[in-house]
Amino acid sequence: MKRIAVRNLRLCTKDCLCLYVCPTGATDTEDSIIDASRCIGCGSCADACPSSAISMVVAEYPPQQRKDKDVCDAVLDAADCRSRLEAMAKKIAAETEEDGLRRLMKAIAMSSRLSSEDLLREGGYMLPQSSVSQDLIHSLIADPPEGFPTAEARELLRRIPCNDREGKKEESYRCSVCFSEFTLDDGEEAACPMCHAPKEKLERL
Amino acid sequence: MKYICQVCGYVYDEEAEGIPFSELPDDWACPMCRAPKNLFEAEEESDDGSAAIAEGPESFEKIPAGVLSAIFSNLARGAEKQYRSDEAGLFRKLSASFSAKAEGTESIEDASTLNSDFLERKLKAVRNAAKNASDRGALRAVTWAEKVARIVGSIIERYMKEGEDLLRYSDVWVCSICGFVYIGPEPTGICPVCKVPGWKFERIEGGDA
Ligand code: SF4
Ligand code: SF4
Ligand SMILES: [Fe+2]
Repeated sequence: MKRIAVRNLRLCTKDCLCLYVCPTGATDTEDSIIDASRCIGCGSCADACPSSAISMVVAEYPPQQRKDKDVCDAVLDAADCRSRLEAMAKKIAAETEEDGLRRLMKAIAMSSRLSSEDLLREGGYMLPQSSVSQDLIHSLIADPPEGFPTAEARELLRRIPCNDREGKKEESYRCSVCFSEFTLDDGEEAACPMCHAPKEKLERL
Repeated sequence: MKYICQVCGYVYDEEAEGIPFSELPDDWACPMCRAPKNLFEAEEESDDGSAAIAEGPESFEKIPAGVLSAIFSNLARGAEKQYRSDEAGLFRKLSASFSAKAEGTESIEDASTLNSDFLERKLKAVRNAAKNASDRGALRAVTWAEKVARIVGSIIERYMKEGEDLLRYSDVWVCSICGFVYIGPEPTGICPVCKVPGWKFERIEGGDA
């Protein structure tokens, strides 16, 4: 499995051994973020770092664990219950004059959110790359509720490709003729959807 | 007979302690996690809640706004873990565009009822489904959520009895990993539910809501 190096800026003590051992110069960047496009995943930097500041992470996440539909349904229902408690606690916190009650209700709101999130991870929403997550975003873009940030949602789909749709994989391209950016499903006739420039004019992103 | 703390798993062994559990004072609390006496259960007792079944939405359109908000804040965490901080920011924007509406006037009693419903029906339904599917991860999440909801319920109850006195000179802390709520001085040990170190607890400030 292809891996790449990432540096945890909070742990890095700037001892710079990673600079010496990297065969491609990927670790030598001004903003301290390892250049993923140069990293070949050799792992030398992670081994050399005296502060254990570098981790090797998978470059492409494997599909998430499959979840049983009954589990997912029950999780959504439980998360709904917890989110109602969260809303209720926030409201009580906002309306009360008592300092203790306000702190307690803020704590319960935070706690409820954490439980919902944890349950939802186990109910199919583990990876942003999963088709469950991606289908949800697609369906919200198709029929956006009031106030839904459609542009941000599209940007997410562009940045995070789906990793478990069978037979189909989206790839991002830029057209060198009209400079539009778009995604094409793997296997789809490759041509720019805007200016119809042929395949040779397309640059993979 | 042994009695087990349903929050942190501490075992009170009557034989070893020499005092029957029932004779402990009412304000006795778990020496590990301070859970009150009523959160202990006798060892054999177990209730699989097999009557509870799931009633979930069929498609995305039916997912309530509060849940969508939590799905996206969770995916923001997922992106963060993958060192994708820009994407995490985008997910947080999606999350913020949804919020559950609190209906009508809410009181602490309503919060207590809703918490019990979560424990007694909703989580049991997840537990049953997870058991049938042999889904260990989901069972783990249910166990954490259960312990956290129990402690939340017991703190709400104490507040209903003692009022502001309960919190006047005490801080309120939340484990930023599992949501365990703790009242008292800065936590030094590990979280009794998810076992992370004490510094992962966040102190809840009063001030503005
Ligand atoms: S070797 Fe480790 S501590 Fe030194 S600069 Fe590289 S990442 Fe930072
Ligand atoms: S894994 Fe190898 S190529 Fe990548 S940054 Fe580290 S030393 Fe350089
Ligand atoms: Fe915890």
